[in-house]
Amino acid sequence: MTLVVLLLAAAVLPAQTVQDVVRHGEDVFAKTCASGYCHAAKGAVAGGAPRLAARGFSQEYIANTVARGIAGTAMPAFGENLPPADMVAVIAYVATLNGIDRPSLPARLGAPAPAAAPLSPEATRGRELFSDATRGFGRCSTCHEVNGIGIPVSTAIAKIPADPAALKALTTPGVSSATIDGETMPILMIARRAQSVSFYDLTSVSPVLRTVAPASVQTRDGSNWRHASAIASYSETDLAAILAYLRAVTR
Amino acid sequence: MAAFCQAQDAGATHADWLHYGGTPFSWRYSALDQINTANVQNLVPAWIFQTGDYVENLQATPIVVGGVMYLITPRAQVFALDAAAGKMIWHYRWPAPRLGAPGTIADFNGNRGLAVSAGKVIFGTADNYLVALDQKTGQEAWRVSVDDTKQCGCSITAAPLVVKDKVVVGGNGGDAAHRGYLTAFNINNGRLAWRWYVIPGPGEKGNETWKGDSWKFGGGAPWLTGSFDPDLNLIYWGTGNAASDFFDADRVPDKTKNRDINLYTASVVALDADTGKLRWHYQEVPDDLWDFDSAYEVLLMDRQVRGRMRKILVHMNKSGLTFVLDRTTGEYLGSFNVAEVFNWIAGVTENGTLVGRNEPQLGKTGLFCPSAAGAKSWNSTSYSPRTGFLYAPVNEICENVTSNDDKPKEGRTYMNGAFPMVLPPNRNTYSHVDAWDPVTGKRAWSYPYRFVLLSSMLSTAGDVVFTGDPEGNFFALNARTGTRLWSFQTGAGHRGAAVSYSVNVRQYIATTTGWQQTVVGGGALGLFPQENWRQGSTLVVFALPGASK
Repeated sequence: MTLVVLLLAAAVLPAQTVQDVVRHGEDVFAKTCASGYCHAAKGAVAGGAPRLAARGFSQEYIANTVARGIAGTAMPAFGENLPPADMVAVIAYVATLNGIDRPSLPARLGAPAPAAAPLSPEATRGRELFSDATRGFGRCSTCHEVNGIGIPVSTAIAKIPADPAALKALTTPGVSSATIDGETMPILMIARRAQSVSFYDLTSVSPVLRTVAPASVQTRDGSNWRHASAIASYSETDLAAILAYLRAVTR
Repeated sequence: MAAFCQAQDAGATHADWLHYGGTPFSWRYSALDQINTANVQNLVPAWIFQTGDYVENLQATPIVVGGVMYLITPRAQVFALDAAAGKMIWHYRWPAPRLGAPGTIADFNGNRGLAVSAGKVIFGTADNYLVALDQKTGQEAWRVSVDDTKQCGCSITAAPLVVKDKVVVGGNGGDAAHRGYLTAFNINNGRLAWRWYVIPGPGEKGNETWKGDSWKFGGGAPWLTGSFDPDLNLIYWGTGNAASDFFDADRVPDKTKNRDINLYTASVVALDADTGKLRWHYQEVPDDLWDFDSAYEVLLMDRQVRGRMRKILVHMNKSGLTFVLDRTTGEYLGSFNVAEVFNWIAGVTENGTLVGRNEPQLGKTGLFCPSAAGAKSWNSTSYSPRTGFLYAPVNEICENVTSNDDKPKEGRTYMNGAFPMVLPPNRNTYSHVDAWDPVTGKRAWSYPYRFVLLSSMLSTAGDVVFTGDPEGNFFALNARTGTRLWSFQTGAGHRGAAVSYSVNVRQYIATTTGWQQTVVGGGALGLFPQENWRQGSTLVVFALPGASK
């Protein structure tokens, strides 16, 4: 319940009537929930998911289910993924399918948007470049997770380099070397246990998390790996934009 | 003659079941004949294994190597089992993945199989890792991220394909704003070997078949398992539909064309096995507006075609249209349509062009047959070199498509349509197991069934064809006549696959059980609301009494 209360409290909608919210909710439902694979339009039966109309659901139950999903089923938790306004709207819409003609809406309906500082155009471009799928594995998000996007091979970025030159020159003290069967490779050590050693092999992207017997591997500090080669797909301007993005979101 | 003989021999499994499709030729045919038409009615359960990972359908094809069976559950728990006694040797659990984008295919539970080679057991995960375990111990050897589920809306449910020293894996996500690809990794250390994007980038041939930037999110995900011909050193793969599925104005640059639109979606492609470079393609559904994909299994065989022995491939897509191509060149040799009810095209010309296309229209709801669930779903066909027949589970289902023109948002569902399934009128059976001669395109026999058939086919040298139904029956048909020979109630619906293998000269037939509550399985259940097809996660293994040792 706490989650739902927070969610409703945090949701801020532009000045709208309940009708507008429900109408928006119908649109969200049609596009997000009512494909042929899951629910059907207007909460009817057709896909694999159950009927939602006229089930006697309370608004609280609907809100909980939409936010948290149903464990062990295909019903996902939308709480972290749908924009708050869409969440409120789709909950309200499903409530109307269950005979709740005037679903309750957040008290702050119509209040101004919260002060999440908008990204500058450069930082916006940086956000796109950070996880630009057209670069394949040659994108920052192959190894870094920022704002919920990316694979956390690296630990969180602690200090943002001042400029592209500094980003390229970045020394990466965490990277060391391992030798297995006569082959030496740059690695990021993750865990040394009595029975096994786990490390990321940085020879190729995407990095490979390998687990080997302690006796089969020798490790030493330092490596020939360079951050500059991992970011070679980006231009100086690209890198400046990415740094602007990182500065904006880690402030 | 030597070459085709080799291919014909290489298509059958013997004691082991080494690959998703039996062998890299994908026949799902066992050369074992201890169990045959004369004694199949004597089959009894030899052992049963309950995975305990109860979620929904156990759908993976088991792999059997040297008397050990390897099985993966929809949530990527992996088991090594004594294939004769059912005793567990080791058990591995992949940690529960983080969420993907909501409402995309990445949210569904499913895993269609693993690969075993070079001392490794290799599988994909819902959060897009490819993982290798030590075959003896079940300890993790390596894992590599193939993509970021949180961004791409994609996942891996397909079994990887082992090709020499590499393992090749395709992904889901072609119904989301995503650009599909195949990726190959070194089997020993997990390092990237190559990646082939289904959709060519700017400057690459084929990119001009996309409007503007639509190539970036054009789908095409090759979401099942391909085949490999070692003689030609080519791998063959089917690719998925173009995205958005039901609306094409944002992706098709030239609506007057009728070939090679939105390459290389809805195609069969042949790639160099070492480099992943495209050798040839054949697009089966140009401008796929029906979510018909062409992602299904590719059967490689050598057959006499119009008086000449040829290396061919046989490939069915969701529409039920089944293509016969020369697998050296990609030349079109013929096609046949397994669906009895269809209205999406009027027919196919002699050179393979689709004619009389009936396309979804924006702003109108239209009835289309077959449905996006497929005249056949992803579960595989089987080919017996003894009968020369392709065995297919065919469904007769239609859908009402209402399309829309939304813009793509990376990793979010990008189907641009709702497509509730409906049953076609004036029938009382909605599926059938068919035997087709792929060369003549003639149906030899058809075994009708009341509901739907969503489990893979297995054929054997005992001239028996096995599959299962949603009511829980695992049954055997005579491969030459389609006569039902035997049936056993396993207790849960069938949405997976059966394999055959032998240990100490005793032949076994193993089938996964457990109905699928979502996607096609759930949709099918919605068509028959009075039914109660049971979920589960159990492997049932049969043998003849006293056939051991």
